Amino acid sequence: MFLTRSEYDRGVNTFSPEGRLFQVEYAIEAIKLGSTAIGIQTSDGVVLAVEKRITSPLMIPATIEKIVQIDKHIGCAVSGLVADSRTLIDHARVECANHWFVYNQDMKVESVAQAVSNLAIRFGDNDSDGPAMSRPFGVAMLFAGVDKSGAQLYHLDPSGTFLHFCAKAIGSGSEGAQQSLQEAYHKSMTLDEALKTSLSILKQVMEEKVSSTNVEVAVITKEKGFTRHPQDEVEKIISAL
Amino acid sequence: MSAEMLAMSEYGRDPRKHHFSPYADNGGTTIAIAGDDFVMVGSDTRLTNYSGILSRNQTKVFPLTEKTMIASTGCWADVLSLYKDLQAKLTLYSQEHHDEMSTPAIAQLVSTVLYWRRFFPYYVSNMVIGLDEDGSGVVYHYDPVGHMEKLRFSSAGASVAQIQPLLDNQLGALNMKDAVPPKVTKALAHQLMHDAFISAAERDVKTGDSCIIYTVTKDGVAEEQVKLRRD
Repeated sequence: MFLTRSEYDRGVNTFSPEGRLFQVEYAIEAIKLGSTAIGIQTSDGVVLAVEKRITSPLMIPATIEKIVQIDKHIGCAVSGLVADSRTLIDHARVECANHWFVYNQDMKVESVAQAVSNLAIRFGDNDSDGPAMSRPFGVAMLFAGVDKSGAQLYHLDPSGTFLHFCAKAIGSGSEGAQQSLQEAYHKSMTLDEALKTSLSILKQVMEEKVSSTNVEVAVITKEKGFTRHPQDEVEKIISAL
Repeated sequence: MSAEMLAMSEYGRDPRKHHFSPYADNGGTTIAIAGDDFVMVGSDTRLTNYSGILSRNQTKVFPLTEKTMIASTGCWADVLSLYKDLQAKLTLYSQEHHDEMSTPAIAQLVSTVLYWRRFFPYYVSNMVIGLDEDGSGVVYHYDPVGHMEKLRFSSAGASVAQIQPLLDNQLGALNMKDAVPPKVTKALAHQLMHDAFISAAERDVKTGDSCIIYTVTKDGVAEEQVKLRRD
């Protein structure tokens, strides 16, 4: 598939004659190697569920952190090169804190996605505003939060494109998971249904047997903001699947 | 350096003090009174420079959004500069966030903008007035470096010393035993504001000519101009 892409896939800022930026396309491919992450938006809040790959029995699963808090009302799930996401997450947190400082209000989820997108497409752009990344970021992110327009789920990919989704899957199992989401999703879904759906889809697409140690779940609601779903609660849902 | 050269150079001259006076006081008085579902704000229309009158018909209240206004008095150059700065920031905000900025957000922004210039401040007394997200009237009062206070009524500018005690007494029922603050209606707010401007114009040369009273409600901004003494 990539055989024809010689020469023009070196520089990150060089278009190919067909008008493509191969490094960006390769970065999007990198997401497909990452662990699966699912986000579902409901009217009561948003559910984020990700797979954790336990590569060694000696590894402590709790140290894998693929869902992070951005602000009290926004969480983020990542897939791909997780180390790359740290820079973007840090940027998102700073933007939220700055928004609170200047306007004394919660930042909209869309605005956070926009702010992170602005950083994500600054690769190879070293002179404008200090040093930037030499290559595109190798992560996709799901921003989930509750703002004045209600529960919101945004997907951001390495090209800097961000879109609002009702339900979205990223990572290695995303193709199958997205298909399942399309079948399972309906507008009147409750938060509990969304939790159940997200875990049952993870169960379908994960290579390992799903358990409360190899998934990470977080819920963002208007009332409680960002909360991690307790392990015993996750266990209960999984055993009922 | 020879004695001759020293005498010719800047250092050889008599010591002299150089003045740089970046600020002017152009007077002006503003009053704001909040009600349950409205907020009323007024300013006099006299603009002064020492004892000279620069304008007899210049409002000091400016619209920011459909339901938020700012009342600014002090150094007129700074008033204009601050207002332009805020307008630019509001436009950028609405384009960036696809939404009009709320009154509380504007209130915080004004505080931040003023404090950014902590060591060369805008020489301006500000009040931000508007309807909050629940539709009730709010008044925010600032000092020139951005200290913010949310109030039900306030005054600012040249005649603040004459007007504020009147408002405290009539609207706040302050400093009296067993006094109860009145329910603030549009009629009461209008009457009190008008009286306050008349009284201030009698006592303060920097306040006069006329006053413009703006009433902000969910339906928009109503404007009314009332004459004051012109001497």
